[in-house]
Amino acid sequence: MTVSAHQDQGAPLHELRNVMMRFGGVVAVDNLTMAIPKGSVHGLIGPNGAGKTTVINLITGMFFPTEGTIHFAGKRTDGKQPHEIAALGISRTYQNVRLFSGMSALEQVMTGCYLNRDSSLFQSFLGMPIARANWRRVREKAMHLLERVSMADRADELAETLSYGEQRRIEIARALGSDPQLLLLDEPAAGMNQSEAREIGKLVHELCDAGLTVLMVEHNMSMVTEFCQSCTVINFGRLLITGDAATCLADPEVQAAYFGRKKHA
Amino acid sequence: MEMLLDFWAAYSSTVVFAMVNSFIALSMYAVLSAGILSFTTIVFAAIGGFMAAQMIAGAGLPISVAIMGAGLAGLAASVLLAPLFLRLETHWMALASLALVLITRVVVLNAPALTGGVNGMLVPVRVGVMEMAIWLALVALVFYRLHHSWYGLATRAVREDPSVAATMGISTWRIQFIAFAISGAVGGIGGAGMAVTLQFISADTYFLGAAFTMIASTVLGGSFHWFGPIVGAFIFTALPTLMQSIVPSIQDVAKGVVLLVIMIYLPRGLVDPRARKLRKAARERQTLRDHHAPLEPSHDTILPGKTSKEAKA
Amino acid sequence: MQLFLEQLINGVSLGSLYALFGIGFGLVFATLGILNTAHGAYASWAAILGYYAVEWLQVPFPMAVVIGTVGGGLIAIIVDQVGFQPLRGRKGGMLGALITSIAFLIVLDSLAGTATGHQSWAFRPGHYPDGLIDFGPIRVPQMQVIIIAAMLIVGIGMHLLVQRTRIGAAMRAVGWNEEAASLGGVNARVVILITAFLAGATSGLAGVLGGAATANISYQLGEGLLLKGFAAVVVGGFNDVRGTIIAGVLLGVTEVFVSQYLSSTYRDGVTYVLLLGFLFLRPRGLFGSGSFIRA
Repeated sequence: MTVSAHQDQGAPLHELRNVMMRFGGVVAVDNLTMAIPKGSVHGLIGPNGAGKTTVINLITGMFFPTEGTIHFAGKRTDGKQPHEIAALGISRTYQNVRLFSGMSALEQVMTGCYLNRDSSLFQSFLGMPIARANWRRVREKAMHLLERVSMADRADELAETLSYGEQRRIEIARALGSDPQLLLLDEPAAGMNQSEAREIGKLVHELCDAGLTVLMVEHNMSMVTEFCQSCTVINFGRLLITGDAATCLADPEVQAAYFGRKKHA
Repeated sequence: MEMLLDFWAAYSSTVVFAMVNSFIALSMYAVLSAGILSFTTIVFAAIGGFMAAQMIAGAGLPISVAIMGAGLAGLAASVLLAPLFLRLETHWMALASLALVLITRVVVLNAPALTGGVNGMLVPVRVGVMEMAIWLALVALVFYRLHHSWYGLATRAVREDPSVAATMGISTWRIQFIAFAISGAVGGIGGAGMAVTLQFISADTYFLGAAFTMIASTVLGGSFHWFGPIVGAFIFTALPTLMQSIVPSIQDVAKGVVLLVIMIYLPRGLVDPRARKLRKAARERQTLRDHHAPLEPSHDTILPGKTSKEAKA
Repeated sequence: MQLFLEQLINGVSLGSLYALFGIGFGLVFATLGILNTAHGAYASWAAILGYYAVEWLQVPFPMAVVIGTVGGGLIAIIVDQVGFQPLRGRKGGMLGALITSIAFLIVLDSLAGTATGHQSWAFRPGHYPDGLIDFGPIRVPQMQVIIIAAMLIVGIGMHLLVQRTRIGAAMRAVGWNEEAASLGGVNARVVILITAFLAGATSGLAGVLGGAATANISYQLGEGLLLKGFAAVVVGGFNDVRGTIIAGVLLGVTEVFVSQYLSSTYRDGVTYVLLLGFLFLRPRGLFGSGSFIRA
C-alpha cells in the first residue's frame, strides 16, 4: 500500500481514524484513516463497491463504526445519532436523489432549514407573531437557496414532477438549509450531462469560496481533476492513496484498481 | 324550512356522532402523520371516557370541564406510554398497540370502582351540538396551525423518509413523541365525547370494533392532511345511515365494499394534497403545450456519464 | 391428579387451536407484511363450510375438515388477490393492506352472520368424533386428541417448510424484499399465493376443529381465535413457528388452569398480562432474532 507523503494544507475539519466497519462477516471499511482539509473540496473516489457510500454513512452517523474514531471540528462524533451530527454542521445529498414525496421544492428546502427554526412548538400552535416572523424569514432563506441553484421559478412545484437534474439541485439546496460546515455530496453529477455536471461543479466551487468544506464522492474522473483540490482513493474499503488530486489519479495502483491494468505514470 | 327541521331532527345525532368520531380519527392521524401505525388512540379514548364519566356522574362537574380533564388524562397516559412504544420497531409497535387495546378491555372489566366493570357506566348528561362543534373547531385549529409549522414539516419528512429527515437534524424520536402526546390529548377528548353522546360506556365501547372502524375512516378520508380524518369520520358515520335507506339488508357488506374500492383506487384517501398538486402540474403542462408548440427539449436527458474510462478518454 | 391431567390436556388442546391459528397469522405478517384482521374470518367461514358439508351434504367429518381447510385457503387467496395484490409495489403498503383487511373483515363477518342466521351452530352429536378416549385413569375427548395431533403435524410441517425447503427460503426472501426475491429466480407471485393459501388453510383447520370442539360455529368463532392467536404470535415472536406453537400452548394451559384454580374472571386478564410482560421485557418473542428494537 502506498500512501502519498503529500501534506494537506490547512487543519483537517473532519477526520476518520483507523475506522473499521463490519457487517456480519463482511468488512466494508478496513482500517481507514482520512482527513478532510478545512475549506477545500475533497474527493472520495474508488471503484464500485469500494465502500464510498459506507464512509458517508459513517460520517453522518447512519452506521456506528465497529472500531476507530471519527472527529469533526474537534469533537468525537462516532456513536452520536444522525440528527445530533447534523446539528453539529454536517449535511449530505444522496446518490439516488431522496427528496420527500408530496412536498413542493420550497417545502423540501424549508425542511432542510429545520435546524434554523427559532420558534417553539407552542409558539407556532398559538400562532404567535414570533413564530410567524421566523417562518417568513426561513421561507425567504429557502427561496434564496433555490435561487442559488437556479430553481426559484419552480419553488411551488411538486419535487417529483421535476427532472432528475432539477431534483439533484433541489437536494443540494436542501442540504445547504442547515448552514453546514461540511457538505457531503454523494455522486452529485450522476445521471447528468456534461454541462449540467459542470454547473454543479461551479456551484460547489462558489460554496467552497464562501467557506464551506465539501467531501465529494465521485466516479467521474474529469469532475475530480477539475473540481477537487485533494482526494482520497479507496478500494475494498482500504485506503489506496490520499493527497492532491493529480498525484492520486496518476498513481499506478489507482490506475490498476480503476482500469484493471497497470499503467506507468 | 320545515323539511330542514325534520332533517335536522332525524340526523342531528348522526352529526354529533360524526364530530365525536372526528376526534378519534384525528388522534389516529396525529400518529399516522408521523409515520406510526398505532391503535393506542382507543386506549387514550378509554382513559378519557371513563375519566369524563367519573367527573360528570361522580363529581357532578360540567361537561366542558370533564372534556378538558379527559384530554389531560389522555395526554398524561400518552406521555407515559410513548417512551415504551418508541423503543419498538414499526411492525412490532403496531402489534403492541393492538395488544394494549385488548389489555385495556380486561383492565376496564376488572376495575369496577373506576369503570363500573361489566355493567359499564351511565352518563346522565348529553352534550349539545354546538358545544361539540366548538370543541372540534378548536382541535381542528390546532391541527391547522401544526400543519403549517416546523412540527408539520418535520412530521411529513419523518413519515416519508426518517433517515433523510435525521440528516436534516430532525430527531425522529422527538417528533414521534410529540405525535403521541397530541394523539393522547385528542384521543382523550374523543373518548369523553363518546361518553357524553352515547351516554353509556363500557369495556366494549373502546375495543377492537372502534379501533378498526376508526383507523379505516382515517385512512379513507386521507391521512396526509388533517382535514382527511374529519371527512373520513363523517363519511363512515353517515354511511350506515345512508346504506340503511338504500340497501338495508346488506348494509355492512356495502360498507366494506365501499372501503375496499376506495382503498384500491384512492390508496392515499379522499383528501390528498399531493394528488391535487399533481393534477395542477399536469394541467399547467397541458396549457404550456397548447401555447408553446413545439416543445423545447426536456432537461432530463440522462447520459451514462458514469464510466470513468469514457471520462478519462 | 386425575383432574389436573385432564385439565392439562384440555389446556394443551385449547392452546393448540391458538397455535394453529397463530401460525398462519404470523406467517402472513412476517412474509407479506400484512397485519391481517380478516384472518379470523377464514376460520369462521371454514367452520361454516364444514358444518354445511356434514349437516347438509352428509359427508363424513374428516371430509368436512378437508373442505373447511381448503375453503379457508381459497378464501384467503381471493382476499389476497382482490384486496392486497393491487396495493403491492405501492409505498405504505402495510397501512393500506391493514385497511383492506378491515374491509374484508366487515364483509366476511357480516356474510357469516347472515349465513348462520346470527346464531351459533354446533355439529349434531354423532356427526363428529364426540366420544371419549381412556388413557389409564383419565378420559379425554376425542376432539382434543385430534386437535393436538393436528397442531403437531401442521406445526412441524410448517416449521420444516419455512426453514428447510426452497419454497420456505423463497418465502423468507419475499418477506425480506419482493424485488430481490424475483431477481433470485423466485416467482414472487407464486410464493405469495402459496403463503396466502397456507395461512388461510391453517386458520380454516383451526376453525373447523375449534367449531366442533367448542360447539360454537358462528362469526364470533374467528374473533375469539384472532384475539388469542394474536397473543400467541406476539409472545412467540411473529417470524417463528416454534415460538408461536409454544406460546399458544402456554396460553391455553394458563387459561384453563387460571379458570379452574383461581377464577374464570381472571382468565383473559392473565393472558394479557403475560402478553404485556412479553411485549416490553422480551419484545422479540420467545425465540426472537432480528432487529425488532430500533437501532
